[in-house]
Amino acid sequence: MKFQIEDVTVYFPYDHIYPEQYCYMIELKRTLDAKGHCLLEMPTGTGKTIALLSLITSYCLSKPQSPMKLIYCTRTVHEMEKTLAELKILHNYQIKHLGPQARILAIGLSSRKNLCVNPTVVAAENRDSVDAGCRKLTASWVRALASENPDVAMCEFFENYEKAASAAVLPPGVYTLQELRAFGKEKGWCPYFLARHMVQFANVVVYSYQYLLDPKVAGIISKEMQKESVVVFDEAHNIDNVCIEALSVSVRRQTLEGATWNLSRISQEIDRFKATDASILRAEYNRLVEGLALRGNLPITDNWLSNPALPDDILKEAVPGNIRRAEHFLHVLRRLVQYLSGRLDTENVEKESPVGFVASLSSHAGIDQKTLKFCYDRLHSLMLTLEITDTDEFLHIQTICDFATLVGTYGRGFSIIIEPFDERMPHIPDPVLQLSCHDASLAIKPVFDRFQSVLITSGTLSPIDLYPRLLNFHPVVSRSFTMSLTRDCICPMVLTRGSDQLPVSTKFDMRSDPGVVRNYGKLLLEMVSVVPDGIVCFFVSYSYMDGIINTWNDSGILKLVFIETQDVVETTLALDNYRRACDSGRGAVFFSVARGKVAEGIDFDRHYGRLVIMIGVPFQYTLSKILLARLEYLRDTFQIKEGDFLTFDALRQAAQCVGRVIRSKADYGMMIFADKRYSRHDKRSKLPSWILSHLQDANLNLSTDMALHIAREFLKKMAQPYDKTGSSDKKTLLSQEELEKLGDGRMHEMSY
Amino acid sequence: MASTHVTKRAKYKTTIKDPGTPGTLRMTFEKILFVPHNPKSAGKLDVEFRYIKGQKHTKEGSNKPPWLNLTNNQNGSFIFEFENYSDLQECRDFVGKVLAKGGEVSEKPTVAYPDEQLSAAEMELRIKLLQEDSELQKLHKQFVLSGVLTETEFWATRKKLLDREVSKKTKQWLGFKSAMISDIKPSTDGRTNKVTFNLTPEVILQIFAEKPAVHRAFLSYVPNKMSERTFWTKYFRAEYLHSTKNSIAAAAEAAEDEELAVFLKQDDILASEAQKKIRRVDPTLDMEADEGDDYTHLPDHGIFREGNKEMTESQNELYKRSLSQDINRHAAVVLEGRAVDVELEDTKAVAEALAQSKQKSSNKGESDGDISRERLDRLSRMTEIEDLQGPNTLPLAPLCIKDPRDYFDSQQANALRTSGDALGGIEQIKCGLSTQEVYGSLRESISSIKAMGLKEPIVKPEVAHQVFDALTNSISNTKYHIGKNPQESVLDRLPRKTKEELLHHWTSILELLKHFWASYPITTTYLYAKVNRLKDAMSNIYPQLEEIKGSVPSELRHQVSLLVRPMHQALDAAIQHYEASMQKRSAQSGERPNGYV
Repeated sequence: MKFQIEDVTVYFPYDHIYPEQYCYMIELKRTLDAKGHCLLEMPTGTGKTIALLSLITSYCLSKPQSPMKLIYCTRTVHEMEKTLAELKILHNYQIKHLGPQARILAIGLSSRKNLCVNPTVVAAENRDSVDAGCRKLTASWVRALASENPDVAMCEFFENYEKAASAAVLPPGVYTLQELRAFGKEKGWCPYFLARHMVQFANVVVYSYQYLLDPKVAGIISKEMQKESVVVFDEAHNIDNVCIEALSVSVRRQTLEGATWNLSRISQEIDRFKATDASILRAEYNRLVEGLALRGNLPITDNWLSNPALPDDILKEAVPGNIRRAEHFLHVLRRLVQYLSGRLDTENVEKESPVGFVASLSSHAGIDQKTLKFCYDRLHSLMLTLEITDTDEFLHIQTICDFATLVGTYGRGFSIIIEPFDERMPHIPDPVLQLSCHDASLAIKPVFDRFQSVLITSGTLSPIDLYPRLLNFHPVVSRSFTMSLTRDCICPMVLTRGSDQLPVSTKFDMRSDPGVVRNYGKLLLEMVSVVPDGIVCFFVSYSYMDGIINTWNDSGILKLVFIETQDVVETTLALDNYRRACDSGRGAVFFSVARGKVAEGIDFDRHYGRLVIMIGVPFQYTLSKILLARLEYLRDTFQIKEGDFLTFDALRQAAQCVGRVIRSKADYGMMIFADKRYSRHDKRSKLPSWILSHLQDANLNLSTDMALHIAREFLKKMAQPYDKTGSSDKKTLLSQEELEKLGDGRMHEMSY
Repeated sequence: MASTHVTKRAKYKTTIKDPGTPGTLRMTFEKILFVPHNPKSAGKLDVEFRYIKGQKHTKEGSNKPPWLNLTNNQNGSFIFEFENYSDLQECRDFVGKVLAKGGEVSEKPTVAYPDEQLSAAEMELRIKLLQEDSELQKLHKQFVLSGVLTETEFWATRKKLLDREVSKKTKQWLGFKSAMISDIKPSTDGRTNKVTFNLTPEVILQIFAEKPAVHRAFLSYVPNKMSERTFWTKYFRAEYLHSTKNSIAAAAEAAEDEELAVFLKQDDILASEAQKKIRRVDPTLDMEADEGDDYTHLPDHGIFREGNKEMTESQNELYKRSLSQDINRHAAVVLEGRAVDVELEDTKAVAEALAQSKQKSSNKGESDGDISRERLDRLSRMTEIEDLQGPNTLPLAPLCIKDPRDYFDSQQANALRTSGDALGGIEQIKCGLSTQEVYGSLRESISSIKAMGLKEPIVKPEVAHQVFDALTNSISNTKYHIGKNPQESVLDRLPRKTKEELLHHWTSILELLKHFWASYPITTTYLYAKVNRLKDAMSNIYPQLEEIKGSVPSELRHQVSLLVRPMHQALDAAIQHYEASMQKRSAQSGERPNGYV
């Protein structure tokens, strides 16, 4: 359908639209007009992504002269693929109605691991080996060597791409990663470098959060994006954690050992070069004297991760004199590694600010702050000079330099915590030195500064006023939408008691009680016998899940069970099998972990999930030193109370888990919060309003048998056909004419 | 075996205890001939094969001698003891072949009715249906063979059965059970520490399917390197080590015994299969791709020891296998279903058949193009929002309820729970409407539909729901209401024979009534003749019902008569109608003598 929002004609690829989507678009349009940032919460299952895509692309189409570009950030690759697939539907629709002028180029960008088509390279098992494998075939010095010596292997895909030069372009269209690969294979061009090149011409770029938030990656990939671009962070409820992770580094024994080994390799290389071709080292020295201008004129294949600190925080200065010479730099690094390993030998937990750490480093090892700051770039330059291609072997020393640069750059918002062992396993010595970032606003600040509109959206952003504080920005629009439902198709329940009427909870003192475990097992068994198709069950942690599954294993299993494990490949296969089991009608149960990868990004819509059971409240491990440090920082800087933050964090995770069941209004699903703590008002009220509004008072304090009864009734009711458009006074689905008839005025009344 | 006869030395025994008469057994397609060596002894036997109903035989490896037991249709049996198992097998196969043939032979003439032109395929289908469903076969025998119904008439009411069978064609496979194989609990004798595991070919097949490494080991070790017994002993020893969760002990044991290590190590075949499969998963849930994309996964980046991340002990990883992995693997195998369709008897055969079917499927392995197309299809299916768009049907396996009675029996539990509130509402509905009222309300609704058109759901969901509930309720309830205890069916308390007879009479009465009422109004002489035939058949049932009533013990008689009463009522109604129409007819024919000719 096609309709007007003020001066923009919006092309929407479906025949009907939800009123929420329409309102959502109106708010988006205002944000774009105001050239500001916004924060929008809309329940899952209301078609956020397509609404967003169709408004922004239509907005661009209506203003052809503006260089506006959409940068769409997803958390995971599969979400990226899904977004691109939706965009494709939209794009086909727009072309059908507008003809060739609607053509856009949309690409997804990922690592070599996901894009490489060279069979020998992509066979490597992890990302770093693929990167290194690619570099071995495509680095500038390897190619220079190959031109003289035909025995040196090269990547034919890259060579073809290079030969095609400027002719190597992607025709307009929407390309998922898979299609990029297919295109590359067909043309014989390397899809990875082609995509990297095409980013500057694309109208829509879809990639992972890290490509924009992590300075190491953003420095090379996102630096060419125009200011007019619109940046979208979808499913952004965890964005603060992503920001924090991007700037945190930890150092363990293994890291230091690896780094020592790396250093001796580097020193061998230096000796070798000295013996054969000392001029290269001298040339590097001269370049460093002039300043660190080594990026930019590098061939695309020699790029690797850039500086871990944010671009604005890096001084445009020359590298300090004491580390210009390769040998001197090596000495500095050796001293640093030695100092760190000395610090790791501690018996007690130590907490320190970066400033204090730098001071003691300077007094004990004689390394000053400025030197630290340049470590990463200096290492980078050295490795290029030494023509090292197997970069995956050198990760440890990179980590050390990351750490040094971050410590040298930031004075506040960080802390350094040294723990001699993990508190949960005090008998196993595993010392670790962690540089942890507490301030999420640091990493995201350059994004807010650089781009004119940043949209943060998710199904769960409650309480919505907390995010601007955490991320330190001022949205022009900040709204939370509720869901207009044709029928009560979600059924949240709070289960506080088991079948024997005793309370259930995963509170620390209760979680190992066999009665509680039995009650949870009973709940699941009873539900499995009632609910058709898929059931998803979330636990608070892997260890709890393992324990409980071992106990349950004795009581027998009714349906097929699939379990998320820490092994990604296995989890993926388990998920795939789970889906097939649901498709075949057999039904299955999926066990997963809140805060795990599955909870973050996999949908359990329609028959893939008719019931979600959230066992326990997914609080963070509150004794963690890092968490304590962060809470302290939040309290001091943003005046956010510890308890509030913990509850907020636990409940957004819980809401996120249960929110995965609904995908559209025709869908339906039940949610069971199985913990007595959910019945308390202060916990419950932190749930997003769209869940709360369906949580009836009668369902707040249930036992297993009552829940079972409700579930049976609910499923019977939902399985009936119903009128999709809703009753006449409260429309939940709009067709084109209805939308036009309503006009803007009525629409607003409805939405508020 | 192409030979048309088999001749073996064997002993003929009239009972199991009987020492047996030695002699020669000769079997041809038509008959079984046994001639004793001693011509004077009495054990001579000459039986035609069509009297033979089935066969039983002892298993190799059991401590019984090789016996073949042929049962005839009078529940008698002929037992032959062979000299060795290979003789037994040969005879067994032969008998099996003849019996299979015999089934067809006996059915064919009944199906080939002169006045219809049936294709061979259709005929086969009917035969197949009859063979699969013993109840149907009984009915067919009772009515078609006795001439009450013609072949066409019999099948005309079962057109749907024929159609569906044609479209379905594929046979439903029996899958694996959902239960884990770790559920095979060892049995202990209580005095010593010795444990015994009971392995059936079924379990072995499942072990092989779930653990390809064990399968491979079996194929390569047994029987050259070790006997089957030692193989399984080792296997369970390994399983025991797993269950103790003592990975250090496992590692130590594995170092000593290389065969044992095979079971203890992670399954390398599984790992490589996983790599292959991962390329085909739905891209919308491919989390492995994230691993390659996520830059924070660099070692030591991100927050390391935060609350939600947990550590695993990495020592002895090689010998550790978590329960979750096992459960996942098990579920995957169950989902894949059984690939082998061999008679499960011999472990070796099972192992080889599995290997073959694997080979086949890997040869068949689709090309990359297919995979990527399939992935794209799935992707686009996943992205559409269903209610903003037209419906998209998923491929569904047709529901196949073998016996509706089972369904309603199982619904009994649900019906009981809801009956409290549901029944109250229904009983208030006024049932006695006059013709005028009915006509009026029908007219009203027709005119309202004319004016407004049909509503989207024609029947309101709540109403439909209620109707279905009531139907299920009443169907599943009837037999329980008669009994005293609502949890227990009255039928189950009757003697087995009576129960079966009652059920059979029910179905046959239903069949007759169906045809009977379908013949009205009588317009042709053919129908007239049919109704007469049906009526005669129905009146024959009365004495039979009486007989049943008489045969049961007195304490059950009341209940049986309760069960029989509705049958009587139905039959009475039919016969009344028949007589009334006969009277009308004779009155009419008085006026119009050449009315129906």
